[in-house]
Amino acid sequence: MDHEIIDDEQLKRLVNEVFEESFETNTELLKADAMIFEDIGLDSLDIVDLVVALQKKFKVQIRDDERIRSIRTLGDIYQFIINLKNEGHISEV
Amino acid sequence: MKRVVITGRGVVSALGSDLSSLMEGLSEGKSSVKAMPDWEGYKGLRSLLGAPAELQNEKEIPRKARRSMGRLSLFGVKAAEQAIRDGKVDENLLTSNRFGCVMGSTMGGAGDFLEAFSTILRNYDISELSSMSFFKCLSHTVTMNVAQYLGIKGYVMAASAACASSLQALGLGYELIRSGRQDVLLCGGAEELHPIVTGTFDILYATSTHYNETPSLSPRPFDKKRDGLVCGEGAGVLLLEEYEHAINRGAPIYGEVIGYSTCGSGTHVSQSSREGMRACMKDALKDAQLNPEDVDYVSAHATATLQGDQAEAAAIGDVFGGQVPVSSLKGYIGHTLGASGAIELAASLEMIAQSIIYPTLNLYDIDPQCNQITHVMKPLKKDIRVVVKNCFAFGGINAALIVRKLNN
Repeated sequence: MDHEIIDDEQLKRLVNEVFEESFETNTELLKADAMIFEDIGLDSLDIVDLVVALQKKFKVQIRDDERIRSIRTLGDIYQFIINLKNEGHISEV
Repeated sequence: MKRVVITGRGVVSALGSDLSSLMEGLSEGKSSVKAMPDWEGYKGLRSLLGAPAELQNEKEIPRKARRSMGRLSLFGVKAAEQAIRDGKVDENLLTSNRFGCVMGSTMGGAGDFLEAFSTILRNYDISELSSMSFFKCLSHTVTMNVAQYLGIKGYVMAASAACASSLQALGLGYELIRSGRQDVLLCGGAEELHPIVTGTFDILYATSTHYNETPSLSPRPFDKKRDGLVCGEGAGVLLLEEYEHAINRGAPIYGEVIGYSTCGSGTHVSQSSREGMRACMKDALKDAQLNPEDVDYVSAHATATLQGDQAEAAAIGDVFGGQVPVSSLKGYIGHTLGASGAIELAASLEMIAQSIIYPTLNLYDIDPQCNQITHVMKPLKKDIRVVVKNCFAFGGINAALIVRKLNN
């Protein structure tokens, strides 16, 4: 299998891509400290699609991961995805 | 009973993104039917024809409003916006509880259904479904999206009766205003072109299959060489308004709705019923307190199916005799199904204004089984005062609506 090991910065870029592709988010808004609801403008329905899009992007199942509930900022998502990689759930994209 | 007038019009069709493009296409005798080569991937689909419309500037709709809109809802919203602009509706009126919305489509978005079920059936897994799939597949998706987007707070209801959907929506709007329940309503329907929609007719041998190489020659309503329908897409929305209300706010008035009927044929799910159609048109005339000879033009449903056109021609002949001019607009824009009633009524209102009846496109050789009526085969200059619009749907559901020119 053709694996591509990715670093944390690449992961962050891919998370940003999810926001740009799925929610038409302006790139300038994509800062680590941006609040997902208040600053980026997503709502509860968007979170459903965010989970689906992250699952697709990183080929990982996260729908039932309890850690999702504590995500507030874009930085929280970066860290969540990095943790998933460190746990061995993400090895290729 | 209150009087009901039409004060706004909005249309998206394969001939263009507004009513004037549609009328221009009709005046030029232009077919918008095209070959759909991408559909060849669907096994068993014999009809590779469609009348596709263009979505324009849909990104002007903010993402959070747009995310629940499939293709047909986007068409519906565009047509509704036109109707509101045309009718000079201000924000206060639009959002009052006296302003409603009744719209319809055959079903939710066909493309969205296919996408949702494809996603689920890949692994029998629902976890990859978008939160918006449901909202795009709902049978009231266009009504819901138009009402939400525009902030409508009055009577909101979906009419879903396949090809009669938008005429039923208009009929219900007429009744709501006539009875004093609402002052203004956006009424109409929307539909999207998709191979699985054409496929539902194709498996019933109701589509045109002999003109894949010559798309503009089909559909051919009432013609001896007709071989079935061609699906189109788009939306038609009319603003219905109580007469005094319209006068008081200085709204433009394009015509008055004076009669309506909808009824079941109670005979067969797909075969058209001459008796049912006849009963529907007669009842609409009775509602309008008119005699058959008062009618100047019948805008036929006529989709170019063998049996449907024959039954409708016979029914029109039964009710009106052979004198009233009849034409079908399906040859220009295909069969826009749940949107057809409103789109074709909007075109009829323009024909009233221009004193012209546009002919049935592709009708060259009248089928002897359809010749008991007067077919319009070239543009006919005529003072038109009263128009009957017919829509007949699968499931044996008939609808006829009557409008008249309003004297200034």
